[in-house]
Amino acid sequence: MTEFQWPWEYTFPPFFTLQPHEETRNQQIKVWADLVLRYLKYLNKYQVNINESTFPLFNNETLKRRLSPETILVILEYLQRTGHAAPLDKRRIEWQVYWYTLEEYANMVYDWIQQTGQLNTICTLYEIASGENSEGMEFHGIDEKVLLNALRTLEIKGKCEVVELDDSYGIKFF
Amino acid sequence: MRRRAGLGAIQQQQLAAEKYKDKGTNLQESQFEQMTKQMEVFRMKLEEFAVKHKQDIRKNSHFRKQFQEMCAAIGVDPLAAGKGFWSVLGIGDFYYELSVQVVEVCLAANHNTGGLMELSELRRRLIAARGQSAVHQEITNEDILMATKKLNIFGNGFVVHKVGKGKYMVQSIPGELSLEETKVLTVASNTDMGFVTLRMLTEHLGWGELRAKQSLDKTLSEGLCWVDEQDTENDGVSHWFPSLFPGRF
Repeated sequence: MTEFQWPWEYTFPPFFTLQPHEETRNQQIKVWADLVLRYLKYLNKYQVNINESTFPLFNNETLKRRLSPETILVILEYLQRTGHAAPLDKRRIEWQVYWYTLEEYANMVYDWIQQTGQLNTICTLYEIASGENSEGMEFHGIDEKVLLNALRTLEIKGKCEVVELDDSYGIKFF
Repeated sequence: MRRRAGLGAIQQQQLAAEKYKDKGTNLQESQFEQMTKQMEVFRMKLEEFAVKHKQDIRKNSHFRKQFQEMCAAIGVDPLAAGKGFWSVLGIGDFYYELSVQVVEVCLAANHNTGGLMELSELRRRLIAARGQSAVHQEITNEDILMATKKLNIFGNGFVVHKVGKGKYMVQSIPGELSLEETKVLTVASNTDMGFVTLRMLTEHLGWGELRAKQSLDKTLSEGLCWVDEQDTENDGVSHWFPSLFPGRF
């Protein structure tokens, strides 16, 4: 794995303080949001906890600066508005984060199903997320909970049906 | 490319010739030739002068104005882009082009720099942006200062501030940078990282705490700097200028 490229802001001490000036703050949040998505993609991580105080993303040890949980929440709520995050509990402490929006994932999967002639057959979540056939696809390796959420959006549009199996889910695409 | 230089001279000659014809004076061929030759000599002398004093013309706007007036008198426009000699000077285009590029470079970086850029950084970026064209010239800090002076037509849009230690900051945000803010910037520019604390202002500028705090608040509220509230090494709070932060490039 190549080393992660941190933006210059990551070594800029005030970057870890939520800025009071509106325009500066907007710029700051944008950079953070982009950084969060890139970093999580790099680690193949789909979940964050706002109290994770030792997570290198939020805590720069060398700089001795860290984001407060309140600020992390602000960033995640911004990501929620752009469709890249959703809280997993009412307290908004655990969050699911996706580098692509759920809709983007859903479309990717559907296109792949169509192209590989798998329409009207049943696939399992595992097959889609981690099967041999999906290797090389952007969604390969995706967290199954995220995938399920993405497929639910397709279900609403009537493009697939999700069926509960023994300990997993099967999906039929139309 | 315009050749107004040559046209101007020819027109002048024609005008002169007509004038004499109209007056009904019988000008001898030789006299007309003489006059033309004299104008040529004068023109050559002017060109020699221009080459000899090229640097002065570039640096001194008063000098340049007088020179331009002289040129106008014999129908030559030194600001016109043209082939041959005048493009060697190319004064008009040079500064016009440079000011446009200054604007482009500053505005493109504004979201990063908060609207302030140090002159040496601006120069580096301009040289990089201008590339390897055939008419590429080494840009000096004076050239940039001259070009930014032209930008004063934008009102307070583009201003250059001297901030001590021979440093200049080019401001490309609307609104004025007060003397107070310039002083704060000076203190910041004396640190390696480009930050100030309340204590630095009271110590270096002899300001009272209240005044220092108000100054910092104002600078912050105008988006010129960022606040760091975790600066335990520096009394807890410090204000940083991204345009002075070395880690940015």
